[in-house]
Amino acid sequence: MYDQYFNLYDVNLFIGCPSVKGTSTPISSAFELLRELDEHSIKKALVWHIAQHDVSPVIGNELLSKAVAESERLLGCWTILPPQTGEVINESFFLDMKKNRIFALRVFPRSHNFLLNYTVFGDFLNEISNRKIPLLLSLERGIQWQDIYNLLKDFPRLTCILCDIGIWGVDRYTWPLLESYPNLYLETSLLSLEAGGIEAVVRKFGAERLLFGSGFPERYFEASILQLLHSEISESDKEKIASQNLERLIEEVML
Amino acid sequence: MKRQSLLKEEFYLKGKVEDCPIYDLHGHMGPFYGAYFPYADISSMKRIMDKVGVKMLAFCHHYALLSPDIGNIANVEAVKRFPENFRAYLLINPNYPEIIEKDLEAFSDYSDIYVGLKLLPDYHRIPISNIAYKKAWEFAEERELIVLVHTWGSSIYDGPEEVRKVAEKYHKVKILIGHSCHGEWDKAIRLTKDFPNVYLDLCAVLDDRGVLEKFVAELGSDRILFGTDFPWFSYYYYIGAVLGADITDEDRRNIFYRNAERLLQKGINN
Repeated sequence: MYDQYFNLYDVNLFIGCPSVKGTSTPISSAFELLRELDEHSIKKALVWHIAQHDVSPVIGNELLSKAVAESERLLGCWTILPPQTGEVINESFFLDMKKNRIFALRVFPRSHNFLLNYTVFGDFLNEISNRKIPLLLSLERGIQWQDIYNLLKDFPRLTCILCDIGIWGVDRYTWPLLESYPNLYLETSLLSLEAGGIEAVVRKFGAERLLFGSGFPERYFEASILQLLHSEISESDKEKIASQNLERLIEEVML
Repeated sequence: MKRQSLLKEEFYLKGKVEDCPIYDLHGHMGPFYGAYFPYADISSMKRIMDKVGVKMLAFCHHYALLSPDIGNIANVEAVKRFPENFRAYLLINPNYPEIIEKDLEAFSDYSDIYVGLKLLPDYHRIPISNIAYKKAWEFAEERELIVLVHTWGSSIYDGPEEVRKVAEKYHKVKILIGHSCHGEWDKAIRLTKDFPNVYLDLCAVLDDRGVLEKFVAELGSDRILFGTDFPWFSYYYYIGAVLGADITDEDRRNIFYRNAERLLQKGINN
C-alpha cells in the first residue's frame, strides 16, 4: 500500500507477554511478529523482549536472541545492567552481541534499581560511545527526563535514541537535548501523536534526527504510519525517517 | 476479516476520504501552560482540518478553560472566524458562580456558537456532583444539551463514581465522558450500559492499542465519539489508530461522523 512510497524499518517494538496484561494483544513469537510486519508492509525491525524489563535482562536477552535468530529481518536490542555485578556485561559481551545480531542496547535504571551515570557506567558507556552502539531509553519504562539530561552531560558523544517520549507534548524537554547533543535521536511512535510534532522537529533540527517507530504491540502501526505518510515534509525526509537514518546508525555500529 | 479496510486504503492514499467526514467533538485552541503546540492558532488548525477532512471541531479554548479574566469570549470570537467548521462548548468554572450565571443567561444569544457545556473538574478541583455545578447541570438538562466532561480514572473530581452520581440525576443531558474515565475502561463501559444518555469519547484513548476494540465489542459503535484534544493530538495519528483497530469500516464510519451528526443535529441545524 505505502511500500511503493518508502521502506519502513521499525526501531521500537517488542515481543513477549508482559507480566501485567494490558488491553493490547501481545506478540509471543518471532513468527507472529513477522506476520504482523508483513501485514503492515514493514521490512525490518529492531526488536527487544518485554522479559528484559519485566523479569530480568539475563533471561530477556536470551529469549530475544532466540527470536532474532529466526529471521534476517529482525535485529536485536539487549538490555544492560551495571557492569560491576557481571550479570549481563562480561568479557565476551561485544563478541556475543555480534554473534547474536544485537545492534543496540536498552537500559531501565529506575525499574532495575541503579543510577545511570558515570560512577556506574564510566568505562562501559565510553566504549559504547566509541563503538557507536545506540542506547535506547524509553520514557514509559523506568527513566525520567532528569536521568537523560544527567546521562548526556556525562556522555555527550553517546548515540542515544529516546523512545515512547510521552503523550502530552514534550518538546520543551526534547528540543534542548536535540540542540546540545548531535547523536541524540527521537523515535516517532509518540512524537507522531503531537499535532505538528514531526514537522516542527524536521524544520528546526532536520529529518536526520528522527527514526520511525510504532510502539507495537502497545500502539497501532497504522497511527504512526499514517502520520508519516501525510506529514508536511519532503518525500526525501520521509524516507530518511522511515528507514534510512536507522540503516545508517546500524551500519556505523562497531562490534 | 475486519482488518481489510477500504477506508484505510483511501486514507493512506489520499489523506482524506470525501464520503467519510470527520467530526471531532473534543478539541481546544490556543497556547497552554503545560506544553508547546505547533498548531495552536485557529488558522493553522483550520488548514490542518481541511487537509484531513475534518468537517466540524467542537472545542473549548484554553483561555476559556483556565483564565476567568478572559472567559468564554475566546470561544465566541474563534467560532465567528470560521463558523462552518467550528463550534464551542461554554466553559463552566464552578469557582466563579457569578460568571456561570452571566454566561448561562447569554447562552441563547449564541445558538450559532455553542453546542453545549464543558466541565474540567480535575483542573478546577471541584467534583462534578458538587452543588457548585448544579445550575449548569439543570440548565443543560432543560435544554437537552451535550455536556463534555473531562473524566479520568480514579479521580475524586471526575472519576466514574462522580459520573454515575450525575448520570443518575440527569437523564436528558447528553453526557459525553471526555477520555472515557481514562484507565478505568470497564467502569466507563458500565456507565454507558447503565445510562442511555452517556457517550464515550476517544480522546487520549487511542494511544493504547485494544481499548477501542474492547469498547466496540461490549457496546457496539453507536455511542463512541471521535475526539482528539486537537491541537494537542494529531488527526492522522488518531485516524490511523481507528483504522488499525480490529473493527469494521461501518464501526469506523459511526465513530468518525455518524454518531456525531446524530448528536449534534439539533445544535448545528439551529
